Amino acid sequence: MEELILELKKEIIDVLNLEGMTPADIDENAPLFGEGLGLDSIDALELIVLMEKNYGIKLANANEGKEIFKSVRVMAEYIKEHRTK
Amino acid sequence: MKNTRKYMIFSIGDSIISPLAMTSNGNFEAVMRGESRLQYYEHAFGLPEPCFISLLEDERIDRAFETIYDYSVKDYTKVEKAAILAAHQAIAEANIAADRDDVIFILSTTKGNVDLLESNPYEPERPYLWRSAQLIAEFFGNPNTPIVVSNACISGCAAQIAAANQLRYGGYKYAVVIGAETLSKFVISGFQSFKALSKERCKPFDGSRCGLNLGEAAAAIVYTIDDDHTHIPDNALILRAGAINNDANHISGPSRTGEGLLRAINKVWAGFDKTRPAFDTSRLAFINAHGTATLYNDDMESVSISRANLQHVPVNSLKGYFGHTLGAAGVLETIMAHQAIKNHTIIGTKGTDNPAPASPINVATETTTTDGNAFMKLISGFGGSNAAILMEINRNGETHNSVETVHAPSLQQTKITEKPIISVISQCDITDDSVVLNGQTILTRTGQTDTWLADIYRHIGMAYPKFFKMDNLCKAGTLAAELLLRNLDFDRESVKPDWAVVLMNSASSLDDDRHYQTTIQDADNYYPSPAVFVYTLANIITGEIAIRHKIGGESSFYVLPTFSPEQMEKMVSQCFAANPELTHIICGWADYDEGKCDVKMQLLEKNVGTLCSASQKNEIIKN
Repeated sequence: MEELILELKKEIIDVLNLEGMTPADIDENAPLFGEGLGLDSIDALELIVLMEKNYGIKLANANEGKEIFKSVRVMAEYIKEHRTK
Repeated sequence: MKNTRKYMIFSIGDSIISPLAMTSNGNFEAVMRGESRLQYYEHAFGLPEPCFISLLEDERIDRAFETIYDYSVKDYTKVEKAAILAAHQAIAEANIAADRDDVIFILSTTKGNVDLLESNPYEPERPYLWRSAQLIAEFFGNPNTPIVVSNACISGCAAQIAAANQLRYGGYKYAVVIGAETLSKFVISGFQSFKALSKERCKPFDGSRCGLNLGEAAAAIVYTIDDDHTHIPDNALILRAGAINNDANHISGPSRTGEGLLRAINKVWAGFDKTRPAFDTSRLAFINAHGTATLYNDDMESVSISRANLQHVPVNSLKGYFGHTLGAAGVLETIMAHQAIKNHTIIGTKGTDNPAPASPINVATETTTTDGNAFMKLISGFGGSNAAILMEINRNGETHNSVETVHAPSLQQTKITEKPIISVISQCDITDDSVVLNGQTILTRTGQTDTWLADIYRHIGMAYPKFFKMDNLCKAGTLAAELLLRNLDFDRESVKPDWAVVLMNSASSLDDDRHYQTTIQDADNYYPSPAVFVYTLANIITGEIAIRHKIGGESSFYVLPTFSPEQMEKMVSQCFAANPELTHIICGWADYDEGKCDVKMQLLEKNVGTLCSASQKNEIIKN
């Protein structure tokens, strides 16, 4: 699990162009949206692409993402359960 | 009034080429019959996901094109043919010689020939928007360099406002405004990645709306100017006022408060001159909204309309008939609204049963009659841009009687003959090798070209993490704007409706378009990226600058074949003249193409002297 969390943090930094951030800067239990990383609606859409491209998980809409993108840990748990690649 | 004369801008010909019909009147009749060619496609353009769209039949376009062109129909692309067909009809109706030098062509399109990025049998420059515009103008033998307006979804209204400016201040007698858009894997996949598309017919303003439908179309209007009101034909469409305002909020999400659109509505409604009485509301037949049927757009429009106290006015959307025709929408929907008002009709909003936008407004779900003789067209889009135009029909000569007494908004009322004094406050040039601010080289490239823009960011000590999410064009423009405004004392906290951003270039967003194409080119590695797609609209750079510096006035983007200081000066002085409230414009050339950066931007100030005096200016140059 911890390995997946680290991998996910690296991917998020990469696809969302979070310049200057390292995995240690992201608290896996903190909310991804709102305060914190300053992510917006386009970032949420890009995370949907990440889920499909890297883990084979297809999300139908952004609303579904809301629950899953609560924190990096929630995301990792969801991936662990649903991944197809 | 001193130094002013009254005049009118009005249409003398128009045409719509849509999947429904090949004339304006034919389209109106089809809509009256409730027709639409929006339909479900399982794999349109080889897309893996289904979509609900409205397509122009290739064969129908080619057959019509053969009647006006003697050579191979393959000489032109589909979007060019549709545009030429629309313009040809509008010009014929206007009965003007389009090859005269007092005729200017203005093309409104967002993506033009972008499908050629997949494979291009034409010359290499064919995907460039200016190239399509050039071919269209050349078809009619027109000698002037055409102007491309690429302002995302508001382009069609922005192009009509640009036409009015060219007629009022540019010395032209006629403006041929053409809006044209065709669909492609590129465009549809991008909207799909945004989760913005409905898989069934769209339901504008409906409580159960779930996204938009895309559509193909071309439409054209010929506008002219005259100060002798007796020349205006009966039933002609008079362009009374137009305004563009930025939300300064987000590059893709509509503002929750509807602030930008409200500013545009208020501006065309009351005019900026608050000493004048507002346009008589009882004459307004309806508001033709953008009404895309996305959750946020329709909510935002309803908020703006009710905040403007127009909640009683019937509001309709035409998207359920044509879909969202992108760069064609503003032109097509203006013509349809004109057809409707000519026939004393308010077109019902197809697809909508139970309107439930965020603010209560009067959505016209059924087609009804009207005695009004004016309408407002609203439109909003990516880049935080919003536009409103106020139109009036010349009903049996009523209008020219009323024009002297109704002091409606500024567009057609006065012609300013005195030029305001405009000073260049700062200037910034960024190329592949150097950054020059106010004549001094502040940085020379020593590292690689691919890290150059980030190197500039670090060198100037900018702290704006969003910079790293931008495409190269936006990065370059954002850096230049940052430098232009450095060390200046102005209100950085509140949104400034008296500041504008007017930029132009040659490559539009092609650098990012090519990047986006790589995310969809390979069927086995097909992951369309929303973060890349959003930058495939050239005007996003004006939105990024508006957000960063809280600029709430006009934001406009034009595409021309090459940089022309004269053209730049003309467009900017027209912007100042048409928007008397403006005090500052960030303007210039911002191009990024094939790894080459070419930015020449300026901060201009109209003679108000709020930023600095001439002596302070020298100090800025020294810094």
